[in-house]
Amino acid sequence: MNLTSPASAVYWTLIALTITASPHLMAMPPWLGGLFLVMVAWRWLAASRSWSAPPTALRLFISLILLILVFVASGGHWSRRAATTLLCMMMAAKLMEMFQPRDLRLVAALCFFMMTAQFLFNERLVYLFYLGLGAWTATMALVSIQRLESTPLQQPDRPWQGKLIDQSRQAAGMLVLALPVAALLFVLFPRLAQPLWGLPQQSMDGRTGLSDELTAGSIANLFLDDRPAFRVEFPDGQPPPVDARYWRGPVLTELDGSTWRRSQFADASSPLPEARVGSEFEHRIQLEPHERRWLFALDHPRSGPEDSRLTTTRELLARNPITALTQYDAWSVNAPFGPQTLPASARAYYLALPEGRNPRTRDFANELRQSFPDDDAGLAAHVLEWFREEPFRYSLATAPLGRHNADEFLFDLRDGYCEYYASAFAILMRAANIPSRVVLGYMGGDWQEGGQYLLVRQSDAHAWTELWIDDAGWVRVDPTAAVSPERIDYGARGAIREPRHALDNEWLRNLRNRLDRAQHTWNRWILGFDAARQQRMLERLGLPRGTHTTLAVIMVIALALVTLALALLLWRRDRQPPRSAAERAWRMLLSRLGRRGMVKKPGETPREFAHRIQTDLAAGNNEFRQLAELYSRVHYGPPHAELAQDFIDTARRFKP
Amino acid sequence: MTPIADRIRHSWRAAFRRWADRWIQRRGPSKPPLSLGYRQIFILPTGFGWIFGLITLAMLMGSLNFNNNLGLLTAFMVAGLAVNGMLVAFNTLHGLTIRHCWAAPVFAGEPARLRVSLANDDTRPRPGLSLRSPTDKVNFALDYDQNHEVDIPIPTSQRGWMHPPRLRIQTTQPLGLFEAWSWFWPEQPILVWPRPAQPAPPLPVRGGGSQGHRTVAEPQGEDFHSLRGWREGDPLHLVAWKQSQRHQALLSREFRQEQSEILELNLALAPGKDLEQRISVLTAWVLMAARDQRPWILDLGSESLGPGSDESHRNTCLRALAELPK
Repeated sequence: MNLTSPASAVYWTLIALTITASPHLMAMPPWLGGLFLVMVAWRWLAASRSWSAPPTALRLFISLILLILVFVASGGHWSRRAATTLLCMMMAAKLMEMFQPRDLRLVAALCFFMMTAQFLFNERLVYLFYLGLGAWTATMALVSIQRLESTPLQQPDRPWQGKLIDQSRQAAGMLVLALPVAALLFVLFPRLAQPLWGLPQQSMDGRTGLSDELTAGSIANLFLDDRPAFRVEFPDGQPPPVDARYWRGPVLTELDGSTWRRSQFADASSPLPEARVGSEFEHRIQLEPHERRWLFALDHPRSGPEDSRLTTTRELLARNPITALTQYDAWSVNAPFGPQTLPASARAYYLALPEGRNPRTRDFANELRQSFPDDDAGLAAHVLEWFREEPFRYSLATAPLGRHNADEFLFDLRDGYCEYYASAFAILMRAANIPSRVVLGYMGGDWQEGGQYLLVRQSDAHAWTELWIDDAGWVRVDPTAAVSPERIDYGARGAIREPRHALDNEWLRNLRNRLDRAQHTWNRWILGFDAARQQRMLERLGLPRGTHTTLAVIMVIALALVTLALALLLWRRDRQPPRSAAERAWRMLLSRLGRRGMVKKPGETPREFAHRIQTDLAAGNNEFRQLAELYSRVHYGPPHAELAQDFIDTARRFKP
Repeated sequence: MTPIADRIRHSWRAAFRRWADRWIQRRGPSKPPLSLGYRQIFILPTGFGWIFGLITLAMLMGSLNFNNNLGLLTAFMVAGLAVNGMLVAFNTLHGLTIRHCWAAPVFAGEPARLRVSLANDDTRPRPGLSLRSPTDKVNFALDYDQNHEVDIPIPTSQRGWMHPPRLRIQTTQPLGLFEAWSWFWPEQPILVWPRPAQPAPPLPVRGGGSQGHRTVAEPQGEDFHSLRGWREGDPLHLVAWKQSQRHQALLSREFRQEQSEILELNLALAPGKDLEQRISVLTAWVLMAARDQRPWILDLGSESLGPGSDESHRNTCLRALAELPK
């Protein structure tokens, strides 16, 4: 394998294709990804052994097969992943007819497109390396295709091309010089405040965070997931106290069998009028994409960004599913607030329990009700006390629960993760005639001292309950806190003693935090750069705040300036002093002659020049002709160190 | 397409071409020696460049719509690559010197090999250049501070002085996205010799009785050499009455004592239906005589060349034949 041979154009195209397709390959079924690699391997062999293209009928047949396989793999369900799988397989089919520079170029150009397609799924910091590597190899491919095409026809076996290192330096240089234009466009290109067309419903490769229902184990599964859920910055640089870090997400109000669900009307509802209570607490959140509409905010959210709204259950909802990193400001109040009365219909709704389930829980609730006939708050406090005294354990155990899920957990199992406590507690409260609901969200977060932000991971996912207490409204009650105060004080990882996986240790966690700080900077400056931020930046630069047109005009002017600067840079680079000492001496000689009005014409050889200016030089001065002769031999002849030195010495002594 | 419409289209195209040529020539020097400057260099995206642009646009729209900043960054980087490509393509031609063009004479129908002499005075190499005529393309590269000669075939059809078509020096460096090119016209016309007749009739050898050959009975066994204007003192029997009548001037025959036979190749007497055919035959005869090292005289009616048998005589004769009015 020779990466500078005529076949190198094919090799580099295949390398670029494989690198840019790799994340797509990992997301498709392994057998389909394997098929793709087989096609690449075939094309590689065809290039190294000079095989010719398969007949058209065979090509069509294989393409059709691939098309059917993509259809089968996607299960006939059209999604963004199915689209990229199709793109990959069609590229693989294209390899069969990739035998002309034109086709090679098309494939190399589509490599850039493949990368953009991948960024729709994930744009974390690590993908910057993917972008760099992919762009470099694709540029390498384009460079080697160009070299192949512009090979002098007389020597087809020896393409005009230097060493591999020169070629890779050329490609890297092109990319580096592309950066000023890229940076400028990135900053100044007008952004859309609204999407032009709809957002697909599903694109996340199944990497979802919280779901909108609660069953046994649905949160415990997230405990192993160290991916960030969101990051929070505070205007005064001070995070809220540890026990107040409840990040509110979806609110589950309906118990369907043993599963808690959101109300299907929740999205459409709007909050009841309310009085302003307490002081507002502002914070800025960078939310990782999670494909759902809810925005997390510190409990209890009062208002969010402009295009979001609150529901009756005080969920903060965005207009569209969050498919890209989203940055927004939210305002919260640290005490319960809201209407002081619950209408009878709502009360009935929040008390509903499926019939014929959890008889022991109902009996226990009745007992409790008799002990606390009118004191809902006292009843709840008693149950929390009971959790603390009885041998309840907080662990990752996720035993599947049966029909009487609350019974099994409260009286038999007594060992589980937060969702067990929240669910059983809410059921118990409803049985005791206290309106209750389950809230999903995150609890805790690591304060990143270096970056001044709070990092909330998927493993911080939490479930708690809210009870309706007359005269107080909806009050947050976290039964997990009663069982395991460490969960609140030290986070989930502090409370669960057992290591989560083999690589779970202190050092790694620190490293991960450091990496997250880099990720946070990336999110903040690159991914979070949107229309609003763009406006703010322009204002700070003192440029007129204006419409897209103003921005476009500024962009075009700046682009022209940058291009001019690049042109000058390239022009200067091309006129840097020649490398060899003999050449430098010759140019010195020429400039000395030039000052005396004897200028070498473009394209004139040293000998011709010497001949022409013979008459202008002092009579009988043959020295320059000899010098020119010597230089011709040094410069165009085989390398000869002594001769070169001789020329340099003579050139220095020469007096025109 | 009807012939008339075709002709109209053709004439329109020719008119446009003339206009374009004049425009290019007005912009700056267009004949060697010239150094390519911005006035001579044109640049446009290639076909692949347009496709690349479309792909970039798709990337841009998708990323804008989904507010995907990394995708936008990719699209913008690709745009940056394109801008660079444009600058590099321009720079590859800028400052290149075309020193001169020259072509050896050829026979009509054979391609003339136009030799274009180029120089790169800069300290950077200029890879990926190609020179294009309307029919051919030659790839080459120039290293830094290098002179280079490129041969490009130019098809010929008619004898005479041919003005070579405009040539295009072009490059799609470095990524094939943009093509930069310059037009220039070779400064000298190419001499196109007449096409030698194929097959050629045998040389008009003395005594052979063939048409293009005259035998004149001479006193003293001297060889007839040529006709010249009558001078005072020429004896009457030397006057060539027939020719004199034809040329409306008194001509005398001149005789010279020579060892070898001298061929007389006469345009008027050569076989052939029309002038061009006779010129063809004469061309073939000149070539045959030169090959056989036999001295010959070429009589074109208006002038007579020779005798001679060397290379320069041959070239003089061929040039005279080429230059004959049509």
